[in-house]
Amino acid sequence: MGDLIKEFDNPNFSVERYTKQLVKECVGGPDLQKKKKEIQAYSDKTSATLKRSVYANYMQFIETAKEISNLESEMTQLSLLLHEQHNILASLTDGAAAKTGEDNDKEFHNEEEAENMHATRAVKEMVQGFNGNLEGKTFLCEGALTELDSNDYRPVQRVFFFLFNDVLIVCKVKHDKRLEFISEYDPKKIAVINIKDLNGVKNAINIITPDGSKIYQSITPAGKTEWIEQFEVAFRWDQQQKKPKKGPAPQPPKPNNSNNLTVDISPTDSQSAVVRKEENMAPDWIHSATDEIETFIAQRHFEDAESLIKRCKDFLQQSKTFVGVVEIEEKVMQLERQLADVLLQELSKCHARNLEVALRSTRRCLQILVNMGKARQASGTLLKVCSIGLRTAQKEARKNNAKISELFFCDLAQVACAFLLSFESQPACVSALVVWCNAELQYFASQLKKHYLTKGSHLESIAKCVEGVRKPCAKLTEIGLDLSYHLEGLLRADLEDLINESRLRLLETVGRTDDPWQPFNLHTKSNLKRLLLELEVLGIDMRPHTTGDTWINLTQSTLNFTRHYLQLTNHCAYLAKSEALSKSCQVLLRDLIIAQHSLKPDANLSVDPNFVAKNKQFLCEELLPIAISIFRRISGSNPDILRTIGIIRQQQAAPIPKKRSVYQTDVF
Amino acid sequence: MSKKPTAGPALHKVIMVGSGGVGKSALTLQFMYDEFVEDYEPTKADSYRKKVVLDGEEVQIDILDTAGQEDYAAIRDNYFRSGEGFLCVFSITDDESFQATQEFREQILRVKNDESIPFLLVGNKCDLNGIRRVPLAECQQRAQQWQVPYVETSAKTRENVDKVFFDLMREIRSRKTEDSKATSGRAKDRCKKRRLKCTHL
Repeated sequence: MGDLIKEFDNPNFSVERYTKQLVKECVGGPDLQKKKKEIQAYSDKTSATLKRSVYANYMQFIETAKEISNLESEMTQLSLLLHEQHNILASLTDGAAAKTGEDNDKEFHNEEEAENMHATRAVKEMVQGFNGNLEGKTFLCEGALTELDSNDYRPVQRVFFFLFNDVLIVCKVKHDKRLEFISEYDPKKIAVINIKDLNGVKNAINIITPDGSKIYQSITPAGKTEWIEQFEVAFRWDQQQKKPKKGPAPQPPKPNNSNNLTVDISPTDSQSAVVRKEENMAPDWIHSATDEIETFIAQRHFEDAESLIKRCKDFLQQSKTFVGVVEIEEKVMQLERQLADVLLQELSKCHARNLEVALRSTRRCLQILVNMGKARQASGTLLKVCSIGLRTAQKEARKNNAKISELFFCDLAQVACAFLLSFESQPACVSALVVWCNAELQYFASQLKKHYLTKGSHLESIAKCVEGVRKPCAKLTEIGLDLSYHLEGLLRADLEDLINESRLRLLETVGRTDDPWQPFNLHTKSNLKRLLLELEVLGIDMRPHTTGDTWINLTQSTLNFTRHYLQLTNHCAYLAKSEALSKSCQVLLRDLIIAQHSLKPDANLSVDPNFVAKNKQFLCEELLPIAISIFRRISGSNPDILRTIGIIRQQQAAPIPKKRSVYQTDVF
Repeated sequence: MSKKPTAGPALHKVIMVGSGGVGKSALTLQFMYDEFVEDYEPTKADSYRKKVVLDGEEVQIDILDTAGQEDYAAIRDNYFRSGEGFLCVFSITDDESFQATQEFREQILRVKNDESIPFLLVGNKCDLNGIRRVPLAECQQRAQQWQVPYVETSAKTRENVDKVFFDLMREIRSRKTEDSKATSGRAKDRCKKRRLKCTHL
């Protein structure tokens, strides 16, 4: 096996070549079979190992998944920040002309603050060994650079800079990507030199600090330019901060009410929001709401996002007069769409190996989507998910030879229950469920035909299969889902074909064996007893026909036929539960008994005509009525076609043979 | 030969100083790439490095092209500290730029604390002799007063461009050999001595 593993692990492994080689090497079938077994064993072992290693690293998987989703949300936050900055810039350029300068300024301050908070937090969280106070500083730029040796320009180490208005924090990037604080500098004491030409070293800057001059390399030219500009901003910070204060009206940085409002995002505060509406100013929470919603979506707090959207919509309905209402409304609508999209996507990913698990995991998304009025989209997606679950389960069950019919209808019931739970009040959705059920049923029927109702199947297995389908299907009526009619319709044509086919095949077998037309000798008492018992179970009492200890006063072929016929009657009766199939079943039974009845002894054989007649009489007068009653009992309908032969037979009945002196056996 | 521990060619650090718009960058680019840049774009602080052959010896020149604008005055100290030689540039068509050289000279001496730091007074834009505003005699007088060479250049015609850089490098080189001959302690003394001598003058 070791060699085998090595061979498979070879990167140049080619299935075709391997197979060819194998065929060449092996002599004869058994050898190949052996090889096949070996490979099979290896495959089993591999999958077992895989399973084991998945279990072993399960926690790690979960953690990684968490980490990824965290990163994802962080990325979204980052993109949000960028977006905000873009917005600020846009509004600043627009606002310069318009009178809304004050507004923008306020906004600008808020954004700036948020950014500062973010950077300050980042420094605190990421940088080991830095204890400086960053309160009240303005964040300007951050990023990784490579420090180069000043003589030969080889990379010395990776560093990470955080630039604030009055401090530059230099950190070393350690091998585990953590940052280690090296030192901090006052940007006013830093000289930055743009290295335009350094023997081919690209994107380098020279930073001269009181500790000396060092060369740093940026990855991109844009990064280098950005750093040079930001260092300049930091350098000139004080000059610049003075300028705006010399501007038109030295306004206090924050008016009183805006100060209160920044914290006002709690839903309980709608009262004050209404009060402020009179000033035609939107409450601040609604301005920040869109960002908040975005963050909620990114962090997968869908419920919070939904409730906040709802709150925004409610508010927008009440008042549409404040500044910027159109943009906010638009944004909220857009976010609502986004949330719905995300949820639907989430929902569509819910399919698990187990339908029940899948259904449970969809519940949360469903609830929110229904609340958002997206029930129709949600129901469609849910049903798609269920289809996948259902079909996978079917495939599995088929592989394991389990009862697929019961599984199917149980699953169907489960889906229907879960569906009705979520969408009961939505008639449109319920009809979608019905359509879906029919579609799934159709698929199920096609699978059934493909795998179980194949040509040449025996009536017995067909009857079992159909019975197995009908029972659970009928159970669905308990939850108000009647699929029986549809199911019968789907299967009818195929079943009829199968029954006809069976009929022809069975007719061929009648009279195949040469019958000596002699009473049947079973040789031992126990044999006789067994035969009698067997037939009794099938519903016919043969005791009156026994003679002596081991004889039955009928031919062996009659007895065989009796047994076979009664079994077939059973199967046919089950199939005939559906009225549509009753006719072909009865025709089968009728034709069969007529064929048996019309058997004639070979002309060369000297037989007792009375004995022949007795056999025929047995068929008409004993077997047929019993068959009819069995059929009626099981199928629940009157076998009219079978009964017509009964009448015919009686008309043609041979004269009753004389009673023979009969020896009574003690077998019973 | 340089006595530096590094194996590579000797490195001479030159700093361009002077008011804004006198042609520091133009001189630098003409020296570096033999091209004359017509567009004016204020420099912040750019550095260039080039291998040249100085009197048969391969050396590296590092040119720091600084900002002439007044608002950078505060940061100049940081740059000046790293310089080994200075080209103090003014435009012969702009008297104000000539006056400003006084200020630059003082700042350099203050930062370097060395009266004999390699230093060249460079009157640029000599191709525009027709609109000259600073008389040649005045320039030479100032150079003499500082005890530094005075050279007139044109970044446009490349006149004397190589000369100013090479002359400065020679001075830097001779200063370095001088310094390495003396022990570090005495070098410091000599610095003081020079300063004293200067005050005597």
